[in-house]
Amino acid sequence: MKKERLNNRMIKTGFEQLTWLFAACLLLLNPGCVKVEYSKIDDPAYLRVFNNLNYVQTLGSKDNKVPFFCMLINPVLDGNGMPTSAEIVGDFLDQRDAYAPPYPSHIGTSTSLNNPEYPGKENVLVGPILNGFDLSSWAQVPSGKIRIMFAYRPKNTVPFFQLENQLKKDILIDTVLNLTSKEVYTLHVLQKDFVTKRTGLLLREEIFQKLPLSDSLTYVNFYNMSAKGYWEADKSLKAEDYLMASFQGGMKDEMNVFLSLYEDQSNLSARAATIPGFKGKYLANVKLNTTTSDVTPYVSFPIWSGKTANGITTNMWQRFDFFVPGMDITNNPFYEASTDNGGNWVSVNCLQNGKVRMTSNDNAAILPNLLVNIHSGVNNPKTFATVNTVEVVNGRVYLTTIQRKYAPPIY
Amino acid sequence: MKKLNNFNHNKPVLRMGKVLFALIVGLQLLFFAGCKHDDLSVPLPNENIRPAADFVKNNYEMRLFYAALKKTGYTEQLNGAGPFTVFAPTDEAFNRQGIYSTTDFDKMNVDSLKKIIGYHILPRKLMVNDMPSNGVDIRYATLTGPELYLSRAAFNPNGGVENELYIDGVEVIRKDVVVANGILHLMDNVMKPNFNKTVQQWLAAHPDYSVFVQGLKKFNLWDQLAIGTTFTIFAPNNKALEDVGITEASLNTLETGKYIGDRLFGAYILYGRHFFISDSQVFSLINNNGAYNYFLKNDSHYMNFGGGKLYPEFKLGYSLTLRSGNTISDVILNSVTSNLTAKNDNLCSNGIVHHLIRGLVTPEQAIKK
Repeated sequence: MKKERLNNRMIKTGFEQLTWLFAACLLLLNPGCVKVEYSKIDDPAYLRVFNNLNYVQTLGSKDNKVPFFCMLINPVLDGNGMPTSAEIVGDFLDQRDAYAPPYPSHIGTSTSLNNPEYPGKENVLVGPILNGFDLSSWAQVPSGKIRIMFAYRPKNTVPFFQLENQLKKDILIDTVLNLTSKEVYTLHVLQKDFVTKRTGLLLREEIFQKLPLSDSLTYVNFYNMSAKGYWEADKSLKAEDYLMASFQGGMKDEMNVFLSLYEDQSNLSARAATIPGFKGKYLANVKLNTTTSDVTPYVSFPIWSGKTANGITTNMWQRFDFFVPGMDITNNPFYEASTDNGGNWVSVNCLQNGKVRMTSNDNAAILPNLLVNIHSGVNNPKTFATVNTVEVVNGRVYLTTIQRKYAPPIY
Repeated sequence: MKKLNNFNHNKPVLRMGKVLFALIVGLQLLFFAGCKHDDLSVPLPNENIRPAADFVKNNYEMRLFYAALKKTGYTEQLNGAGPFTVFAPTDEAFNRQGIYSTTDFDKMNVDSLKKIIGYHILPRKLMVNDMPSNGVDIRYATLTGPELYLSRAAFNPNGGVENELYIDGVEVIRKDVVVANGILHLMDNVMKPNFNKTVQQWLAAHPDYSVFVQGLKKFNLWDQLAIGTTFTIFAPNNKALEDVGITEASLNTLETGKYIGDRLFGAYILYGRHFFISDSQVFSLINNNGAYNYFLKNDSHYMNFGGGKLYPEFKLGYSLTLRSGNTISDVILNSVTSNLTAKNDNLCSNGIVHHLIRGLVTPEQAIKK
């Protein structure tokens, strides 16, 4: 009898416990249920936007308008022509960084809202992997005719549509672009004339994802997207930036590019050992162009040409000398550290992370190494060939690197 | 036997267990007793923070500002709902403008005083943290209507925190004083907005600068100041021009054709720029470079402008150095440091007028060759 009662009690408590457990589970599970609506763009084109209007905050330029924009795609305007919303918003679009990395890696360490490119730090749908190239730095946008607007905005942290009304009316560019589905585009906001300050857009349809490119060659092409009349203009009208060295004054409208490959990027000297066959080698011709969107041909150099290269990693770095036609490294009349060369000779060193200067006398601007050295698989570092674009805009030089998708590191 | 022995052995352990148990029960009792609370009283928020006008009234550093508020009828509004931001000049600031007692306001036109006092008030709450870091010439609408220019040096790009704030060229010496209906900032000087007045009208209205005006007229530099773009004018008063040998009488006998007007009088005009003296200080903090160098218009001579807090008072001032060209070998014609802070930063509709304590160019230095 006593045993039966005990048994009954045990069953009862067991049942109660189960009920409680079930109720608790329900409580926990129910709030966890959220209907996720994935955003999707049908027939997208892939777009990356750079703001090439650069500025330096100085006393002399304080009254100039700061080219800090909000990009609006397919905006909705109210009766007064003021944008009230847009299909795609690229806010806080600042001047571009010297280096546009293959992956939007600048998000990771950034504490600022200012975006050096679009999509950049924006959390939007990005491009897929095409022909091995990871397009996570390209945003998906609707293809076909899109209306695009670049609106001046104050340099603060207030989102564009929360700004006071009178601050939303200053539109720099309002135009229509025609984008083809599944194509890759880079869009540049540019100054086209240094004297009249006329600005405009340059939309380039990229072709790198369609080319049969080798994994043991690094490719690079060059553009001069400077404003007309920049290099001729008086020095006092140009922004001073000692890091740009010889590029500060701009370069002439037609230049030849020469490549030097150096063995070792830990040796910070432009007089250091070069790789045989790659000392001032003619590479390409570059002409000023801010009107047509043709892709200039890619030229290449082998990544395993160095003496210490072992097929996994190499420590080589690159230097590009831009000379006016008729001049090259053998008949260069300028002193090696001469930065003010009337636009006849400018140069850029591409090594390490693009932040180190030569310890020897030198006149070069600095950019990161074209080759990507990174931990992949069991190799740390492993060197990867890349596809690069070097763009000269007024007194500045920019590098965009595109890389194929690579194996994740194994620790 | 063995068992018994064992039992005996465990006795002290058992006793200890009992003591421990009693202790635990006791502790438990204490614990529960500790849970008993009388009604908690939370300190009430201070309801005695004064609204803006009352705060100013009760602060003896701002007696003259309060008198001005009362005179212009702003007191009631400033004690109202708000929110407001009040840029309150100290008594010392008013003294520098020649206002020493509350009765001095009686001599003034109430309407113009009201516009100027209203220009010191914003119909919003603006704390230092709401102002963009390193923002220069951020504009905010005032109670009067026209915008004021605010510059905030917050950090140096090479590292280091700065904390200076200037409004229309006037330094804020105490920031973020919280009042019931807004914020109050203490100003080192009175702001000098001239609303719709051009720099030409401003100069014409100040007999102190009559010789300068006469010279500008004589060398055809005067008419451009009525229209045109933007000017920063370093205006020498009559005394200052006398130092370089220019008086009303000598100007009358001066032959215009023999002199370079763009140097003799054009040296005091900076074209196309809008500089408060404080801008120079702000840029030296945020950009390590507060200087601005420029060629005089239509002349080969070169000017170095630089401002900042001058030793030993550490009040804003500026210096102008005129050279015969922009290379190191060019000679310096004259260098003037002007430190009358209160007379600078006269904001006009097409520029800013600063007071210059000494002339720059003698007529001999401007003879055509």
